[in-house]
Amino acid sequence: MKDLLLYLLPIVILFIGGFTLMLVDAFQKEEGGLAVPTAMLHFAAAAAALALWPYAGNAADLARAQVAFNGWLAFDRTTLFLDITIALGGGLTTLLAGSYLAEHKLERGEFYTLITFASAGCMMLAGATDLIMLFIGLETLSLGVYALTGFRRTSARSQEGALKYFLLGSFAAALLLYGSALLYGMTGHTDLAGIRDALGRAVEMPAIAGQEGAAQFVAVQQTVRDRVTILAMVLVVAGLAFKVGSVPFHMWTPDAYEGAPTPATAYMAVTVKAAAFGAMLRVLIGVFGDTSGPASLAGGWPGLLVWLAVLSMLIGNLVALAQSSVKRMLAYSSIAHGGYILAAFVVAPRAESLAGGGGSVGQSAAAAVLFYLLAYTVSNVGAFGALILAGSRGKEAVSYEDLAGLGKRHPAVALALSFFVLSLAGMPPTVGFFAKYNVIRSAIEAGYPWLALAVVINSAIGVYYYLRVMVKMYMHDPQPGAVRAEPMSSPGISLTLIATAGMVLALGMMPQRFYGYALEAVKLAAAPIAAAPADAPPANAN
Amino acid sequence: MQLVPTLIQALTAVDTAGSLSLRYQYGPIFAMLGFALVVAGAVFSLATFLGPKNPTPEKLIPYESGSPTTGAKHVRLSVKFYLTALLFVVFDIEAVFLYPWAALYQSLGWQGFVEMFVFLAALSIALIYCWKKGALEWET
Amino acid sequence: MTIQISHYLILSALLFSIGAAGFLVRRNSLVALMCIELMLNAVNLTLIAFNRWMPANAGGAVPHHGHVFAFFVIAVAAAEAALGLAIVLSLYRIRKVVRTDDANLMKE
Repeated sequence: MKDLLLYLLPIVILFIGGFTLMLVDAFQKEEGGLAVPTAMLHFAAAAAALALWPYAGNAADLARAQVAFNGWLAFDRTTLFLDITIALGGGLTTLLAGSYLAEHKLERGEFYTLITFASAGCMMLAGATDLIMLFIGLETLSLGVYALTGFRRTSARSQEGALKYFLLGSFAAALLLYGSALLYGMTGHTDLAGIRDALGRAVEMPAIAGQEGAAQFVAVQQTVRDRVTILAMVLVVAGLAFKVGSVPFHMWTPDAYEGAPTPATAYMAVTVKAAAFGAMLRVLIGVFGDTSGPASLAGGWPGLLVWLAVLSMLIGNLVALAQSSVKRMLAYSSIAHGGYILAAFVVAPRAESLAGGGGSVGQSAAAAVLFYLLAYTVSNVGAFGALILAGSRGKEAVSYEDLAGLGKRHPAVALALSFFVLSLAGMPPTVGFFAKYNVIRSAIEAGYPWLALAVVINSAIGVYYYLRVMVKMYMHDPQPGAVRAEPMSSPGISLTLIATAGMVLALGMMPQRFYGYALEAVKLAAAPIAAAPADAPPANAN
Repeated sequence: MQLVPTLIQALTAVDTAGSLSLRYQYGPIFAMLGFALVVAGAVFSLATFLGPKNPTPEKLIPYESGSPTTGAKHVRLSVKFYLTALLFVVFDIEAVFLYPWAALYQSLGWQGFVEMFVFLAALSIALIYCWKKGALEWET
Repeated sequence: MTIQISHYLILSALLFSIGAAGFLVRRNSLVALMCIELMLNAVNLTLIAFNRWMPANAGGAVPHHGHVFAFFVIAVAAAEAALGLAIVLSLYRIRKVVRTDDANLMKE
């Protein structure tokens, strides 16, 4: 039992750290100075996850841990990979926040407490194998992020963004909950493995077996269960799609991204996405990935998701083209990136699934999701960090115009922003290229050439507005008399950016290596997870 | 008036299957609801139709213990009330976890005891945080 | 006519739909908050009803996952409501509005 508790280490570090930060914040006389400890907590959590990596390689240990924790959380490498991504994103954005908040006179300790608890919530969501845990993790991260969005209390935009995010996010959580409740009712289970098993079995009613009309009654029950299950699946997918901000559930994204202080925007963009896509991976492929069961739903959700994917890419990119604010452009482009990731989801169940444990294409698509999340995390944190560095108090860099002529005035900042923007655009030496390449390749392998084509075309549209940032910086001069962004001098942010750039390059130079890790991460998830001991037959719908 | 027999019937009747049917399970409640509606409606309509009406300006102003009314109708509540109410809602609801724990205290043993105290410690830290941040100060 | 699980399910589905429709139609952020609470309580009713009618497992005991889930929903809903009210209040202090239509600084 004791050694099993070690599996919880990344989450425990963040929770204990979060409470400690609360106390320190409550008792210290002056604000500030919490950024580096918070970042250290995140990196410690990442290190713990890294240290657990070899231990999570053993299927027997995993099953033991799963049973010991009643199937609440998975301790497999998928979780660890996502934990590392989340901790990395959280730690880097915290480092950015330290300088940003001091520069903009927003230094208040609760920022760090909120971000720490939100990261812990992200990890719970990413590892959740039970609907209850999934909901708690989702809300832990959401409540933290809503508060972070409204962190600039004197700014009406910040409060508006927070209100929209809060209302739509809570609405989405309610949808997800209703879906969860229906799934529970149809199967008698809240753990994902139990739900999958129960849905894989046909409806049985031993109590009435042999009576007159029993067969017809059972057939009706089966139909009811199948239909309710599809409704539940749609509700759960809608709830999670809200969290990742995919079209048509994206309305909150630009406002929340614009209103939030920039480090919080970066945090929302990377860690929340990583956690929510992780949960999607487990729910869609783990529960509904079954291609052979009587409720053959694998034919159902890819058809739904493909629309979300294509619409997210298309609308995200087209609206991003029209933006005059770089922050909003990054918001819409994050919707498009969500679309690329969803495209990999669509592909995954085509040739067996994680749960089915057979096909390599399904695994390569799931690995493409994980790799994309890691790549997107480092690239996006870098881009937002460079945007923070490009502005200073009262002279924030928000719109394209603010950036005009930055290449001449401050070449180092302009270079950093260009580098990360190129990675987001998917230019070859950077990791962004390989992330998209993996998605496209698995789409072609799984026999979805038109989806691959959609990703390629959309990436091309994306290149246009990403390059526009560079064109503004290097080839335009600022309008006479316009407010121009003045870069702040912050060694902390510069160091963070150098570290992030190093990661973008390292991932870009050795994509096979890190993709290999992602592939390992999804492989073991194929090991069957023991259902919770409390076992119940499927419920009667009536 | 069929009301009293209906009530008695509703309170005593059991249908053939042995379980209370909808009508009888909720019969008393429906009967009570109907009774309340009839009585309340009767009182108000009697007052409206039978009572003499002779409005004068003095009678139309809001009643405030006989003295002339002062100030606006809508009193602005201080934001302090909201803050206190929000904190109350959050801390109060945590009691839902204490009741099941208390009911099963014996069978949960030491593990349950430790777990609940970890939970309470987390709540205490939150309370200390609110306190030190000044959220519990009424006079500021 | 006996009370069956379907009655509870229909009632909770109605409550959920009323909440969802209210959320989408009404423009007052406080009403929207109440609608969300209504939806969450509809979910609680669903969970409890399902758990009440859940058949016993092999050991003869009925698992209480639905009840436990409902407890967590209640707790989280309270935290959510507190945060939501705080955000509404904070916006009201700056803009003096509670209507979501008036929160339009970022309309394009």
